[in-house]
Amino acid sequence: MNVLAQSVPFILALFEHSFLRYALLTGLIMGGITPLIGAFVVIRRLSFIADTLSHFSLAGLSIGLFLINTLGYTFISDPLYLAIIASIIGALIIEILRGYYENYKEISMPIVMSLGTALSALFISLSGGFNTSIYNFLFGSILTVGDKYLAVMSTTAILVLALVFFYYRKLVIISFDESHARLLGIKVGRFQFVSTLILALVVSLSIATVGVLLVSSLMIIPVAAAMKIGKSFKNTIFIAVLFSELSVIGGLWLSYDLNIASGATIVLVNIFILFVVVIIKHIYTNQLRSKRTTKEDVGNV
Amino acid sequence: MRITVDNLTFGYDYRTVLKEISFKMNSGDFLAIIGDNGSGKSTLVKCMLGINKVAPSQIFLDDVDVTNYKQFLNIGYVPQIFDDFNYEFPITVNEIIHSSIMRDISQDEILELLDKMGILELQNENINTLSGGQLQRVFIVRSLINQPKLLILDEPTVGVDRKNVENFYKTINSLNAEGISVILITHNIRESNANFSHVLSLHNGEGIIKEVPRGDEA
Repeated sequence: MNVLAQSVPFILALFEHSFLRYALLTGLIMGGITPLIGAFVVIRRLSFIADTLSHFSLAGLSIGLFLINTLGYTFISDPLYLAIIASIIGALIIEILRGYYENYKEISMPIVMSLGTALSALFISLSGGFNTSIYNFLFGSILTVGDKYLAVMSTTAILVLALVFFYYRKLVIISFDESHARLLGIKVGRFQFVSTLILALVVSLSIATVGVLLVSSLMIIPVAAAMKIGKSFKNTIFIAVLFSELSVIGGLWLSYDLNIASGATIVLVNIFILFVVVIIKHIYTNQLRSKRTTKEDVGNV
Repeated sequence: MRITVDNLTFGYDYRTVLKEISFKMNSGDFLAIIGDNGSGKSTLVKCMLGINKVAPSQIFLDDVDVTNYKQFLNIGYVPQIFDDFNYEFPITVNEIIHSSIMRDISQDEILELLDKMGILELQNENINTLSGGQLQRVFIVRSLINQPKLLILDEPTVGVDRKNVENFYKTINSLNAEGISVILITHNIRESNANFSHVLSLHNGEGIIKEVPRGDEA
């Protein structure tokens, strides 16, 4: 779904339409912080958490729509606020359940996801069934984000960058080796709690850009591609952010030119990059292996 | 570091793993803990580290009950390889070492430690590319970076070739000679040329400690 008529090239359209500039700027900010958070999520083997939280956010959105549209509670200006609250509540439930099922920590995800999906379905049906708002929540509507949303997103980005900058070393130790972190006297529980809250906030905010169903892809796919070619931790994060930004720019551009859904295009470009990386890496590794074998053969002769 | 283990009994859920273990260790001692798989060697060490929660008055570190102990930075712990560390994500040796620094240490001292463990040239390598033995050395440097008083090594030579095992124990012996207490968990005491002062053998959760006459090797 695209609200643009592509009469002018993408670059010129950026100068012409403020909403397109907002979209690009929001996408770039999002593209910068999601893989940064995603890297720590992937290392801690919590890739599924973003998906779980986004489904729980959807419950918040649906409840919001129900309150606004059906009950007429107009003081709730934007259901997105309820998505943020729901996402944080979801994160708290996950943390509680992770402590409760100590040896089966991942069990918390399907429980919270089911609850989120069930509540969403219930309140969507109560507020009159499927409509454009729901479609936008599911698949994103980056072209309709305004300056208010951009301000919230920028503040969140600054918060995330500051936290990562100040606690970088501790985050690295906790993510790679939790027991070592405890031994060094780091308050692991407190760190995990705060990072889950931040994750919840970013996930719920990402909904406006790529939607509930595609949020986790923004966070995980660039990292999945980067970790196959990164030489160091910092280098991997840098590559992940680069891939992510490329997919935002490429995705928006393509969606403008082809008049197709922006959120979905961004994710597809992301996946395309991942495929290219996997294929090139595969070819490179094979070549390296055959070179080694040839050398060994020569050596044996 | 002085360690007193007094009548320690510990188990997981309904299974008792350690039964009434008692022993003492003085600063500069080198204790080998031996026993079959599942005899409770790693469990015992994890009790000392506060990873396994024990009841009060069973373990004392420098005369402080482990349940109240806060200075675990004084203990360098090298867990069994592939135990808790996430290996697949790219990270270099330097990044691992630097992220663990909690006390003042100069860059020269870090380089000296890397050199001592024979991994100076590997500092910018991704850990995915290292062999088991090299990785083990990285973890030892990581555990030494905060100048510990006690070094705990859990089966450190699994997957390391014979020549490197000898070199490895030479280094550990010299660290011990510098005054660092060492606890070494091993399933094969004969294989190592470590200069033990005591051996604790665990069998079915029960432990017997013996003093060993020390060789000159250091």
